[in-house]
Amino acid sequence: MLVLSRQRDESIMIGDNIVITIVDIRGDKVRLGINAPSEIPVHRQEVYEAIQRENLRASRLEPKDARGLGKPTGPASGADA
Amino acid sequence: MQIRTTRFGALHIEAEDVISFPTGLLGLEDCRNWVLLADAQNNALGWLQSASRPEVALAVVSPRRFVPHYQFRVFRSELAPLELADVRDAQVLTIVGKNERSITLNLKAPVVINLERRLGRQVVANGDQPVQHELTSQPAPLKKSA
Repeated sequence: MLVLSRQRDESIMIGDNIVITIVDIRGDKVRLGINAPSEIPVHRQEVYEAIQRENLRASRLEPKDARGLGKPTGPASGADA
Repeated sequence: MQIRTTRFGALHIEAEDVISFPTGLLGLEDCRNWVLLADAQNNALGWLQSASRPEVALAVVSPRRFVPHYQFRVFRSELAPLELADVRDAQVLTIVGKNERSITLNLKAPVVINLERRLGRQVVANGDQPVQHELTSQPAPLKKSA
């Protein structure tokens, strides 16, 4: 992994159209500004990991679990007690 | 062609029934080909069944049936591979999960399908959408008697 030292307000370029700027550093928290073309998705890594976990968990769902899905919200029918 | 499934037995499907997810789904990257099935008992429910892995199926619903005001925004790049002529033609489905308390919907990463081109993709919505949006299976108890 490439490791670079940067100070506040300094930037890193990735390719010729992604710029990552150190906006602020406070304690153990760094705020990054990311300038990238809109066709490049930018998300926190833990978001991807949460989705991976959720997909794997969901892929083990059995029909009997999913069929517990109630009637769509809206006016409650109250008929299926 | 025939596909094997652990939940629904052997299924006879036509080649054009297959929906291709060129990059798979997160955590299920090897599953590129899926079939969308209607649930036999619950008409709000569908199943995305992997064509290659019999044990992999995802329960899916139209999110607006359960979360009427659901909206999400994604980067343009997320939808580009779907070759949609018009984004309004996209079929949006959310994956059903389950935690200790209730059935959940993954509102953070909906599945978007171009039914005409048989192309699908799981997108990551921007902003604060929950991965596990809990659906209370029972209507909320009334606080006041009417």
